[in-house]
Amino acid sequence: MRLSVIAREKIFAVSLIIPSILFVTVFAFYPLLYSFYLSLHRIILGLPGLGQPFIWFENYRELFADRIALHAMINTFLFVFLSTFFEILFGLCIALVINQHFRGRGVVRAAVLVPWAIPTVVSSQMWRFIFHDKYGLVNYAIYGSQVSHYKAWLADPVFAFSAIVVADVWKTSSFAGLLILAGLQMIPDELYEAARIDGASAWQQFKKITLPLIRPALLIALLFRTMDAFRVFDLVFVMTQGGPADATNVLQFYGYKKIFAEGLMGYGSTISVLVFVITLFISLAYIRVLGTRLFEERI
Amino acid sequence: MTFQREMKAHFIKKIIFLSLVAVIIPVTIACQKEKEEAREETGITTLHFVTWKPNQPGAWEEILRIFHEENPDIKVVREIGPHSSSAFHDLLTQKLKNKSQDVDVFLMDVIWPPEFAAAGWAMPLDDRFPHTEQETFLKSTIMANTHDGSIYGIPFFIDSGVFYYRKDLLEKYHFSPPKTWEQMARQISKIVPGETKLGIEIYGFSGQFKQYEGLVCDMMEYILSNNGLILDPETGKSALSEKPAIEAVRFVRDRIIGSSAPIGVLTYQEPESLDLFIQGKTVFHRNWPYAWEIANNPEHSRIVGKVGITKLPYFRGGKSVSTLGGWQVGISNYSNKKGAAWKFARFLTSPRIQKLYSIKTGKAPARKELYNDPEILQNNPHFAEMKDVFLAAYPRPRSPLYPAISNILQRYFSKAISDSDSDIEKEAKEASEEIDKILSLTE
Amino acid sequence: MRKIFFYVIVVIIVFLSLLPFLWFVDTSLKSTVEVTSIPPVLVPSGSLHFYQSGIEQYELLHYVKNSIIVAGMTTLVTIIISIFAGYALARLRMRFKGLMLGGLLIVSMFPQISIAGPVWRILDAFGWLNSYQGLILPYVTLTLPLGVWIVASFFKELPRELEDAARIDGCGHLQTLFKIIFPLAAPGIFTAAILVFIYAWNEFFFALLIMTQKQFQTLPVGIALFQGQYTLPWGEIAAASTIATVPLVLLVFLFQKRIVRGLSAGAIKG
Repeated sequence: MRLSVIAREKIFAVSLIIPSILFVTVFAFYPLLYSFYLSLHRIILGLPGLGQPFIWFENYRELFADRIALHAMINTFLFVFLSTFFEILFGLCIALVINQHFRGRGVVRAAVLVPWAIPTVVSSQMWRFIFHDKYGLVNYAIYGSQVSHYKAWLADPVFAFSAIVVADVWKTSSFAGLLILAGLQMIPDELYEAARIDGASAWQQFKKITLPLIRPALLIALLFRTMDAFRVFDLVFVMTQGGPADATNVLQFYGYKKIFAEGLMGYGSTISVLVFVITLFISLAYIRVLGTRLFEERI
Repeated sequence: MTFQREMKAHFIKKIIFLSLVAVIIPVTIACQKEKEEAREETGITTLHFVTWKPNQPGAWEEILRIFHEENPDIKVVREIGPHSSSAFHDLLTQKLKNKSQDVDVFLMDVIWPPEFAAAGWAMPLDDRFPHTEQETFLKSTIMANTHDGSIYGIPFFIDSGVFYYRKDLLEKYHFSPPKTWEQMARQISKIVPGETKLGIEIYGFSGQFKQYEGLVCDMMEYILSNNGLILDPETGKSALSEKPAIEAVRFVRDRIIGSSAPIGVLTYQEPESLDLFIQGKTVFHRNWPYAWEIANNPEHSRIVGKVGITKLPYFRGGKSVSTLGGWQVGISNYSNKKGAAWKFARFLTSPRIQKLYSIKTGKAPARKELYNDPEILQNNPHFAEMKDVFLAAYPRPRSPLYPAISNILQRYFSKAISDSDSDIEKEAKEASEEIDKILSLTE
Repeated sequence: MRKIFFYVIVVIIVFLSLLPFLWFVDTSLKSTVEVTSIPPVLVPSGSLHFYQSGIEQYELLHYVKNSIIVAGMTTLVTIIISIFAGYALARLRMRFKGLMLGGLLIVSMFPQISIAGPVWRILDAFGWLNSYQGLILPYVTLTLPLGVWIVASFFKELPRELEDAARIDGCGHLQTLFKIIFPLAAPGIFTAAILVFIYAWNEFFFALLIMTQKQFQTLPVGIALFQGQYTLPWGEIAAASTIATVPLVLLVFLFQKRIVRGLSAGAIKG
């Protein structure tokens, strides 16, 4: 009798979870395998007469010789590294501030969340306008009415790349901040009180108590931000279309161009697979560091 | 406490309810509106025409008004695409790949027909657009619309690179319009410091150097006017690594970007570069013929009446070369209103509409006979002199894989000219290899 | 002294967070001349011209409608499915729980490009390109991890005794879920809904590929492609952006506590 209750529960549980599995299988895992399948073929959407010849790993061989792909990969990694670094840094500041008790905290918290809630396309347009070489706020702030000094920020490879990093950091620092904040709130006040009684300075408290205790939160923030930064597309699409001189060409944009704009479905899928493998490795690395905590204790 | 929580729950419910209402009302209204429209339109064919936003909306409105008057059973709805040719291409081809029902008639850039033909997106027009009819158009435009012996688009207007200059400034410094690029750079090195001394802020030159299709057009003019080539017609391979091509690119990097032209041109497409010129901030300007009308329109321009137009300069020992641009009218293979679509396409490219469009917008018509039309010449006096330029405009490489080739070219040019230390030979060699690889796919 | 320093930092943070947005709102209220004046004009004349032309010429409200339909339906479907899955994962005995959670975690990290081509082909095969379901289905998939995770973590926090009591009273699992758990976890579910809604409202990549017909395009696509051939309508872009953003800003100000809680839900427990 008791056994059958458990069995019934299990059947019930499975039936509850089936819709989720269905969605994830059809629209996530199957496409992933399909990407791999496509990457072994030569498929050019613009030349249907070519058919779909199976060419083994030819596309991969080409990919490894493709210096534009390499360049896009370096750009992507650089972007991920810089933006997550600053996001975690500013996120930490934001979290430390919001964690204090002060009047108007709710408003501040909401204000900080605004960039996160704004559609990336919108924030990209905003930053494009702010960096505009004539009507832009940045030029105005730096050079005032000396119009002749106005710089075309997005024309310069280094500045254009920085502009994208800035736009991303602006948009997502608060998200990192919130994850860190959750970690901060777990720290019992007593610890600080005890430290204060022992005469520890604010910096010492931060170093000895705060930092070690929010390490897991920092790592999780890092994980989420890394994965998300890896997907950067909207910013590039709206702000620079990959230019100037390919300085802002990132993997996801390059893949999009190959698959959809140039119609190289097969070769583009190779990029898709590569991007997935890289993200998988990064997340596995993080999960190793975080331990199994993510899987077991999160729920 | 519980009371508070209840209040909160109540509040949330209210919010959810209100947002639901907010969602449902507009949706139902919109749906109703659509239904009403559908009812009204029984018996009327709605044609979707994919185009870009015109800079003289008035001309298009008039054209559509005439069409609607003459064809009360067809209603043309315009779908406005984005600004740059590359982005417009990506959007339109994505629409066609998705077999969107809101594409019946579309504008094609001069470089697209082979791709649209090979992919089966554009409908072949051979039965409706016979050779005798084709002969009334400029030859280069018919070539551009032909793929594997069939024709896929009707030329609407043509573009070719032309050179604008400030008549008043050249006179002031006793210069005649520059014949060569070197001459242009020399004139700039006199005029700009001279004007700056007077407290007038001015640059030498503006053109289109952003990483996009326009960059290919501009750079091709430099390379070809130095007797170079993009693709060698004999070997069918890239000629970017040949000396003339390299020299021309180096000239742009060293003598144009950041010296003759402000560094900002690296982000400029047509509108931004034209803006600088009509604000009176550059002496010379490279653009398409349409800029003439805008530069002489007091509503937009500060240099009305001070503008000169001529052939593009060339390098010593070369000859002036203009890139062939322009737009064609094509019909989607997936359209289920091909009859009406043909009617509209034919109407748009008819002599009288090309004439009207040319007069209103300053664009160069694709039909030969219109270059002798007194009314057109009266509105665009420079057409008489520039006719040769239009006739001789040079096409970009023709290939169904042109977008891929163009992306390589754009990347190469942008890289080579944005960085004053770029290794042009190496970049050119790599770009050549990539282009040759793409070309080998179509063999 | 320290207090002043602290408040200075607070002001800087708030200022920097809001500045770009406020600048766009400011721009949207300018006249055509003011938008393109060099150097920029700081105080707008308060003209609503761009809103009017955005709505009339660019049919802004039409994109708003599509965004509401897509984001609304996505939220509804995702949340329903998440409640089921979340309950099973949080409360019921079953096998391969870890595997499923891991699978969900991986899906949440998928770069869109790694599935975009095939998803496009699948939708093409079904004839669902340019249809609401064509975008809603991938969105549901991509927001499921978020939804399940948040909902499950809220379920987990509810005391078990209630369910036990319900079960003793003879309630079945489904009844327990709907009569006991669901009402209690409503705030959590609502939080998940807000987050899913924001995601679906903001997504661009798939929308760009799938919705090529204006009739179905969502706001981000509209805003990204808001261009003319020879002019960039910055004023209209700013107005459209403001319209796209205001609902989200309102959501944030109304529900900031919930959002904060949802974002960090279960992320850190010890």
